[in-house]
Amino acid sequence: MQRVAEPEKRVRDWPGKRFLASPYLLLLPAAIALAGVSVYPLFYGVRASFTHYLYGRDFGLNGLTNYRNVWHDEFFRQAMETTAKYVIICVTIETILGLGLALLVSREMRFGGPIRVGLILPMTIAPVVVGVMWRLLYDSGVGVTDPLFQLFGLSPPDVLAHNTSAFYSVVLVDVWEWTPLIFLILLAGLQSMPQEPLEAALVDGAGRVRLFLDHTLPLLRPVLLVAIVLRTIDAIGTFDQIYVLTQGGPGTATRLISIYAYNTAFLFTQFGQAAAMLISLLVMVFLLMIVAVRLMKKTAT
Amino acid sequence: MRRRLPRVALYTTLLVILGIAIFPFWWMVDTSLKQPVDIFGGVTLYPRHPTTTNYSRLFNVYHFGSYLQNSLEVVTVSVAVSLAIGTLAAYALARFRMRFGLNQSALVVALLVRMIPGILLVIPLYITLAQWGLLDTKLGLILIYTGLNTSFVIWMMQSFLAEIPRDIEEAAMVDGDSRLSALVRVVLPLAAPGLAATAIFSVIATYNDFLIALSLTSTQNAQTVPVGVSTLIGKIQIEYGPMAAAGVIGALPIMIFALVVQRHFVRGLTLGAVK
Repeated sequence: MQRVAEPEKRVRDWPGKRFLASPYLLLLPAAIALAGVSVYPLFYGVRASFTHYLYGRDFGLNGLTNYRNVWHDEFFRQAMETTAKYVIICVTIETILGLGLALLVSREMRFGGPIRVGLILPMTIAPVVVGVMWRLLYDSGVGVTDPLFQLFGLSPPDVLAHNTSAFYSVVLVDVWEWTPLIFLILLAGLQSMPQEPLEAALVDGAGRVRLFLDHTLPLLRPVLLVAIVLRTIDAIGTFDQIYVLTQGGPGTATRLISIYAYNTAFLFTQFGQAAAMLISLLVMVFLLMIVAVRLMKKTAT
Repeated sequence: MRRRLPRVALYTTLLVILGIAIFPFWWMVDTSLKQPVDIFGGVTLYPRHPTTTNYSRLFNVYHFGSYLQNSLEVVTVSVAVSLAIGTLAAYALARFRMRFGLNQSALVVALLVRMIPGILLVIPLYITLAQWGLLDTKLGLILIYTGLNTSFVIWMMQSFLAEIPRDIEEAAMVDGDSRLSALVRVVLPLAAPGLAATAIFSVIATYNDFLIALSLTSTQNAQTVPVGVSTLIGKIQIEYGPMAAAGVIGALPIMIFALVVQRHFVRGLTLGAVK
């Protein structure tokens, strides 16, 4: 940490100041910081996945045992399935809604600024707080969902207490919080899009739908892909809201892989097995991340 | 008439969507300002007898202030340090052509680090911090957030610094500045909007983080606001008022922040829309 202040303060009177300004040296503190939270933990994580832990204590390497346990674990498979279902449903809905919203407000309009800020509000709130907010809404004693159902003459469902409704309730929370992200990325994409081809097509008498399918969508495709891939990676790691809302329950209905791995590690202190789960997951996520990086490098410029 | 109708429809649609976006937050604010009796007294869209008892209970009985202070310290130090070291690195990447294709690969690494889901990092980080005796300390959190933020700072600042023409600092260097003093005196002021956007986004990501803080802390020594909020839920099942108040306090600083610095904020979110 002391490295940081060094170059700036001492540069004027220090004999080696030219060396200090060499690019590799400028890179060094950041490289150390990055390695500290990525290379090192990942290396350690891989090691942990081959290690036998008992009550959180290291009892030496045990080969592939953790992986074997994990891959034969019915609950792991279940958590992966729940996660896959969760991610696919959430990202699909968010993409459709986000695209629709972006198209709605992409043109110059009155109150455009405040409207956009209002629309992205949900994603600025800490996910934990989002969890609290929706707990207050879903709660059968103080919330609004049950009275809302009663208003339509239906029996109050107590949504978080039943498997299916709990699952879709947490999906709804995710959609509420993260549609704005897709909206925002697509909005930026739409606004930086060249207008001439669109106007030319309009002059040629193309209809709205044609225009969208033939011109807007192909141009928007790279940005759309970035948004979808980023959101997918993020959704796979969803933890906070679920932890606050259902803790993975009722039963295992909302137990995503992150919740399961967290419980395995910190509730049951099975660090080795949790690490094996996460390394398995990382292999899958890593492919997605490579795709994301490729796409982002393409669209960034 | 023909053009007016769609416009009315557009604004109505937007109004409804805005309502959906804002209502859950309003419901929490509403609950936090209600008397305990009114909280259970059916749905009312505003507090009939507004009170601040929930907030005073939150601070006096549940000592929420310590979470706020922890968050403040952790966020400030880690963001400041990562801005400093990240900007230096970004400057090196934006201005020098380095060997081994370092320019490209460093950016890719920065982006990858930013994208790794937190759950993949916490277990190894937990084991490591335990070995160093840094579990449940602010220093431990600061070190980790500094690393994570640095990746973001590099990614953002590299693009901002690359936009600034070289001539400006070369002129300053002719006038006797060293490269670093030219960076501090001439380049950084020009990159101020970018620096602001980066800082804002780092603050938000750090302040809002839950999983890392939850796993690596266990007492009020180091627990941050989101962890405080979640422990309150466990502790006070029936006390919805203080719970809502905690939520409001957890969300408010960032929302105000977002409103004040709208433009930078949007740039930060779209460029760094990863976490």
